[in-house]
Amino acid sequence: MAGFEILDPTVEPRKQPLTYVPRPDSLRGKRIGLIENTKFNSDNLLVRIGEILKNEYGVAECKMWRKHNSSVPAHEEIIEEARRSVDCIVAGIGD
Amino acid sequence: MSTQLLTSKRHVVEDPTHAIEFCFQQGWTDGLPVVPPTEPAVRAMLEAADLEPDKEVCFITNRQVAVSAEKVAVNAVMAGCLPEHMPIVLAAIEAIADPKWGYHGPAASTGGAAPLIIVNGPIAARLGFNSGDNLFGPGWRSNATTGRAVRLIMRNVIGTLPGALDRGTVAHPGKYSYVIAENEAESPWTPLHVQRGFTKEQSAVTVLAAEGPRQFYNQLSSTAKGVLTSLCDDMKHHGATNSQPQYVVVLAGEHMRTIANDGWSKADIQKFVYENTQNPVAHIKRVERLAGSVTPQDETSMRPLVASPDDVLVVAAGGRAGAFSCYIPAWAGGKKSSQSVTKLIQDRRP
Repeated sequence: MAGFEILDPTVEPRKQPLTYVPRPDSLRGKRIGLIENTKFNSDNLLVRIGEILKNEYGVAECKMWRKHNSSVPAHEEIIEEARRSVDCIVAGIGD
Repeated sequence: MSTQLLTSKRHVVEDPTHAIEFCFQQGWTDGLPVVPPTEPAVRAMLEAADLEPDKEVCFITNRQVAVSAEKVAVNAVMAGCLPEHMPIVLAAIEAIADPKWGYHGPAASTGGAAPLIIVNGPIAARLGFNSGDNLFGPGWRSNATTGRAVRLIMRNVIGTLPGALDRGTVAHPGKYSYVIAENEAESPWTPLHVQRGFTKEQSAVTVLAAEGPRQFYNQLSSTAKGVLTSLCDDMKHHGATNSQPQYVVVLAGEHMRTIANDGWSKADIQKFVYENTQNPVAHIKRVERLAGSVTPQDETSMRPLVASPDDVLVVAAGGRAGAFSCYIPAWAGGKKSSQSVTKLIQDRRP
C-alpha cells in the first residue's frame, strides 16, 4: 500500500507477575507495622488506624516506621526490621 | 552504519500532514505538532550517536521500562532535533534515570517539577545552545528541541502522562523544554561541570528536578554583597522554603560582572547565599509552612534553605543587559528523593 510510514514512539512496560502473600484470617493477636510516609499528619492518621486495629480488631501491638520521603519506597532497614518483627503492614500514600 | 532492524511498530498514513495529525490522535505529542518519525530520520539519529537501535540507554525501575536507543531516536526526531543533538538527549536521559535523580518522585509529583538541563562544555557553542538573551525563552533550536525530546521520551516511552503518572498541580512551562547553557565565554568563574568533576574540554549536562525560574531585580547596587543581598531576601521567602534539596542561581551579564568585579568566586557566592537565606524557625511556623507552635528557642534557631553551600549551584547565563538574574528551586522532595546529576555528553561521532 502506498503511503507515508512512521515509527511508533511508545513502548509497553515490561510485564511482571504480582503475587500477594496470603491474607490472615484474623488480625487478632497480630503485630502490625505502620509505614509513615512523612507527609503532614500521616503519623497522626496511622496512630489512629493503629488504635482502631487494637480496639476493634484485637491487634496485639503496632510499630511505626518513617520512610525517607513519600516519593520513595520504604528503605531496606524498614523492610528488614518489618520482616523480623511484624505480621502485617499498613502503608499508603495520600496528599 | 547499523543494519539492525528497527523494531518499532509501523503506521502508514496518507502523507506527512496526516502523519502530524495521526500523532496528535495517538496522544504522542506535548500539544504541539511533531516531526513525523520516518525510518531514514530515525536511522540518521542512531548513526550520529553510533548506537545500535536495541542498545539499552537506561532502565526505569519503578516503571519497569527499558529505554532503547531506537525509542530515544524516534522521540528526538519528533521533537525536531538534529542528529547531532542525540548525545545531549542521551546524556540527559541517563541523568534522569540515575537513582540519585530518583525518576518517580519528580516525574509524578504534584509538585510539578521539570528536568532543568544545563549544558556545559564545547558542545554548547558548537551546536548553538543559547546562554544569553532570553535565556529561558523561545528561539533556539538546540535548547528547544533537546528538552522537548526528553519530555516526549518521558511521556511516550516511560509513560509519564499528565493526569495519570504526572500529577503536577500547577507545574510550569519548563515541562515543554527547560534547557540552558552556561555562558562560559564571558563567565569569570569555573564552569558548573568542572566544579562537578569534569574537565573544561569535556561537555556535560547537569540535570535538576526543578520548579520554574524566579526572577529578581537589583539595579541599585554596584557591589557583590548588594546584588546578592537582594537575591537572598527574595530566595529565603519563596514558595516552599522547607525541603528543597538544592537551588540553581543563574547570574546574568550585569550582575555577573558586578559580582566578579568584587573578586568573588562561585564558592564565595555559594557561601554567602547559604548564610543569608536562613530563616528563624519561628518565622516559618508563623507563616504556616512548618507545623507546631512557636517556642522561645524557635526565635533564635535558624533553618538553612539547604544542607550545605554546595547545594547552591551557580551558573553564569542570561543577557548582557538588564539588572535581572534568577534562582530556581529544586523539586521539594528532599535530597534522599532527588538531587542534581551531571553526566558526560559523549562525543559519539563515528
